Amino acid sequence: MRKLIFIGLIVALCWFAADCAHAADLNLPKDAVAGQPLSIGTSGTGTLYLIGPGQVIKREFKSGGNIEIKGEELRSAGRWIAIARGDVRQSQIFWVKPGKPENLNFLARPSRVPVARPNVITGVAFIFDKYQNLILDPTPVNFNLAVGGTGSSKTVTSRDGIAWTNSASAPKAGAAQFVASVGGTQVRRVVQQVAADPCNLRMHVAGRANNNVVIETDPIRDCSGNPVPDGTIVSFIQTDRSGRSTVDSRIKKGIARAELPVSDNATITVAAGVVLGNELHVGGKQ
Amino acid sequence: MKLVRMLVLTAGVVLAVSGAVPLLKRILADSKPSVQLNVKNAQPREVEEVTQNAILRDYTLAWQGIGTALANNTLQPLNENFSGFALDRLVQRVKDQKQNGLSTRLIDRGHKVEAVFYSPDGSAVELKDTASIETQVLDGGTVIHSDQAQIQYYAVMTGAEDRWKVRVLESSAR
Repeated sequence: MRKLIFIGLIVALCWFAADCAHAADLNLPKDAVAGQPLSIGTSGTGTLYLIGPGQVIKREFKSGGNIEIKGEELRSAGRWIAIARGDVRQSQIFWVKPGKPENLNFLARPSRVPVARPNVITGVAFIFDKYQNLILDPTPVNFNLAVGGTGSSKTVTSRDGIAWTNSASAPKAGAAQFVASVGGTQVRRVVQQVAADPCNLRMHVAGRANNNVVIETDPIRDCSGNPVPDGTIVSFIQTDRSGRSTVDSRIKKGIARAELPVSDNATITVAAGVVLGNELHVGGKQ
Repeated sequence: MKLVRMLVLTAGVVLAVSGAVPLLKRILADSKPSVQLNVKNAQPREVEEVTQNAILRDYTLAWQGIGTALANNTLQPLNENFSGFALDRLVQRVKDQKQNGLSTRLIDRGHKVEAVFYSPDGSAVELKDTASIETQVLDGGTVIHSDQAQIQYYAVMTGAEDRWKVRVLESSAR
């Protein structure tokens, strides 16, 4: 009985030793990083396949020794399979982590926005390493939104590779520089901040031309004092005994003007979008 | 005589099973994987029902596409469901596999997917996927590696012309 137990123990020991020896045939590092060189220990002769998420690397090896993989070869982060074929037939799983943050994909929305609106501009940054692997570890990203030298800055820590922020538009119109930066990498987007709806829309009679009366607005600005962009439509509506006529005019150099037929007693109103201006009575007993 | 008959019958059954199993595996590999999508924790925007259905449909198609592309070393299923970095990466993998005479058979046992981010403008969504996958690497017709594991994937999908496409797909040991 003792002999039997002894033989059993010897067999188990040999099995364990063989298993250990076999496991040592392919020696993979536990902290591989994309873009950094990798050294893999082997024994015997054969072919090694490294199968990654976005590539396959093949190497022949002889009489053991280490297989060196260059940093630029190891590009994909994620789950890799190492397969040795030859004297030794073995496969192992290993993980490659993303490298340092070096690239940002930055989405800034919208590209054109009215001034002085709360939480209207959003920025979303996706953080990648040199080889476009998404960096899942928390990383601080700085967002800076500035127009005409003044602006706001905020640092947001990414979660699962993404950092986002939202911000109010500035009271001043102009091209706002929206910059996302991480480490030494900066990505810039331009958000055009335009005047909001007109405020205090006023018109006056500017004169007569042929048989028409010329109506002209004062310079049209929003409530923050920004000039409403040229090209914005302003409607002049004249109502008299003969009915109602409308002239749509575009703002040019900050003001809108229209020529309306002379009437002996007419009421003229002005509007831009949903904003109404003053009212004029022309002709007859004004 | 009875014994001979039994032996012939047994051999016939074994032959039929040996033929049917790979066929069944192939059918299963080409069929749509099972995907469960949970959008309750998506931030900062709530995922609309229509978007949820579209993402579920297109993410499922994307995984079916990966399975077909890696098994047959073809690019067409990738072009339909992937764009950007994910497409570049998978195309390179298929090309490398082809060059080295390898192929990969994915036996997809299902995905538990959670939407973790939905951009305020509704143009991008990030998914966290716990996938149960059996991976077999084949050299010619010989299986040279096989493993079964639960793998965590992070996917970023963006709206394309008529569907959502996977733009980033990354496995993580986290």
